[in-house]
Amino acid sequence: MEYILTVMVLIGINVILATSFNLILGYGGLMSVAHPIFYAIGAYCSGLLAIHLQIPVPLSILIGAGIAMVLSFGVSLPSLRVSGDYLVIASIGFQLGILHVINNLDFTGAAGGLTNIPVLNEGPSRSLVFVLLIAVVAACAVFLVGWIVEGDYGRAITAMRNDEEAFSALGRNAMNIKIVLFAIGSGMAGLAGALYAHYFAYVTPEQFGIFTSAALLTMVVVGGAATTWGPLVGAVLLTTLPQAITFLGLPVSIMAPLQGVIYTTLVIFFLFARPQGLTGGSRGGGGLEAWSASAAFRARRDAE
Amino acid sequence: MFEVQNLTACYGPLIAVNDVSLSFETGVRMGIFGHNGSGKSTFLKCLVGGVKDVSGAVVFGGSPIVADQVHRNVMLGIGFVPQVQNVFPNLTVEQNLHIAGSKSNSSFLEEAYALFPLLRERQDQLAGDMSGGEQQMLAVSLALMTRPQILLLDEPTAGLAPAIVKNVLNSLSRINSELGTGLILVEQNVLAALDVVERAIVLKGGRIVFDGASEELRAKEDLWAWF
Ligand SMILES: Nc1ncnc2c1ncn2[C@@H]1O[C@H](COP(=O)(O)OP(=O)(O)O)[C@@H](O)[C@H]1O
Ligand SMILES: [Mg+2]
Repeated sequence: MEYILTVMVLIGINVILATSFNLILGYGGLMSVAHPIFYAIGAYCSGLLAIHLQIPVPLSILIGAGIAMVLSFGVSLPSLRVSGDYLVIASIGFQLGILHVINNLDFTGAAGGLTNIPVLNEGPSRSLVFVLLIAVVAACAVFLVGWIVEGDYGRAITAMRNDEEAFSALGRNAMNIKIVLFAIGSGMAGLAGALYAHYFAYVTPEQFGIFTSAALLTMVVVGGAATTWGPLVGAVLLTTLPQAITFLGLPVSIMAPLQGVIYTTLVIFFLFARPQGLTGGSRGGGGLEAWSASAAFRARRDAE
Repeated sequence: MFEVQNLTACYGPLIAVNDVSLSFETGVRMGIFGHNGSGKSTFLKCLVGGVKDVSGAVVFGGSPIVADQVHRNVMLGIGFVPQVQNVFPNLTVEQNLHIAGSKSNSSFLEEAYALFPLLRERQDQLAGDMSGGEQQMLAVSLALMTRPQILLLDEPTAGLAPAIVKNVLNSLSRINSELGTGLILVEQNVLAALDVVERAIVLKGGRIVFDGASEELRAKEDLWAWF
């Protein structure tokens, strides 16, 4: 029972992560890989604040999410000014850089991880209560993103993603929209991280590396980029799938690479065969089409 | 009044516009011609600050055009219709117009429909599903939504059938005569465009090689030698 509840917590965390990543990648068309680092920032900041400053856990969770949101400007402001492509590089650099720092500082627990993080709630049915809480937060995340992309602002986001040059030619500021989307998405990832830290009471740097980036990308692509429910479907599938594989009892030396292979295969398969993902309509792809569209545009221009 | 002084625009080592100076009134009808790669699109983009690496000055109505601040520059009263992807394919016609109009008076939607009645019929259709000519009409309407004093159009008739070319160019003339909106027209359909504009400029290798009345260019026996 405890095992199932733990898996459900992980599902909830991943729904928040995939949904917020979808806001950045799917709707915003912003090619960042660094989503897990904002997850890490939320987890570490909240954990450290609660450990060292005895800040009440609910408050430290909110501060952790806020710090992730504020630090997102450190990536988005300088890189988006240069160009959208630059964000990919800047985000990888930021992710690896921060992980390197965490790995080498004593007070973050270095490579061994941060332990003894105060938990959010205690008591006999602590996991059940936490599952309910995370379900509510995950539902709020899905509805928040759904609400942002509906209506006037959502139309502006779609237009900005369709074509930035045409969008700014109409007097609209594409940069502002991107920076806002990136900040909201990163703040949500920070929230997920803080919740994770105060449930499991333990985080390690390796949880937030490129492998997690790949997992989140797979969830968004498989579920359906730029759809409301896609990331939720993707997160549920891709959180339960590895758990199911665990039951096969394969040795770790095979398990770890196998997961990587499965993720990569799924992403490549879906990008080519079903870019709209499992839940998307015929016109899906969202931000992913921004890559193919700009590639097509460059090919056409270079051919001229 | 647009004033361009010693404008040079580069993409890395490539000089796309080379030391161009010229000025024109806001209500002008001017054509910019030249073969592929002569710098027409780059020059047009510079007029709204769409090229980052520039030197020289562009001033519109007394206000400087700041490089890389297209969204601010156009609000000075410049409508810009880019050469590629100038509508939002995943939005309906009406949603397209709303994006453009959200910063100005939305009653202008009706004026756009009055100008291009076909757009009203297609208002719920996705822009990406419309024909090339219909997309150009939408693109022009989008630019008009910001109530510009002058419209910059980059090859608005590219890829259109000859009958539709006339149609689009006639609409542009009408916008000029009815609303008083100036037209800067980059065109490959030189002869059709010369009917619409009063002044013609020919670019070659990023420099102006001809600047005069459109009649003068048309009368040149060696018209094509200029390109
Ligand atoms: N974004 C860009 N990056 C690099 N080079 C470009 C870019 N846009 C145009 N160029 C180059 O600048 C020159 C002028 O291009 P352009 O202004 O598009 O000409 P035209 O519109 O007259 O065909 C060409 O050599 C073209 O290849
Ligand atoms: Mg061109």
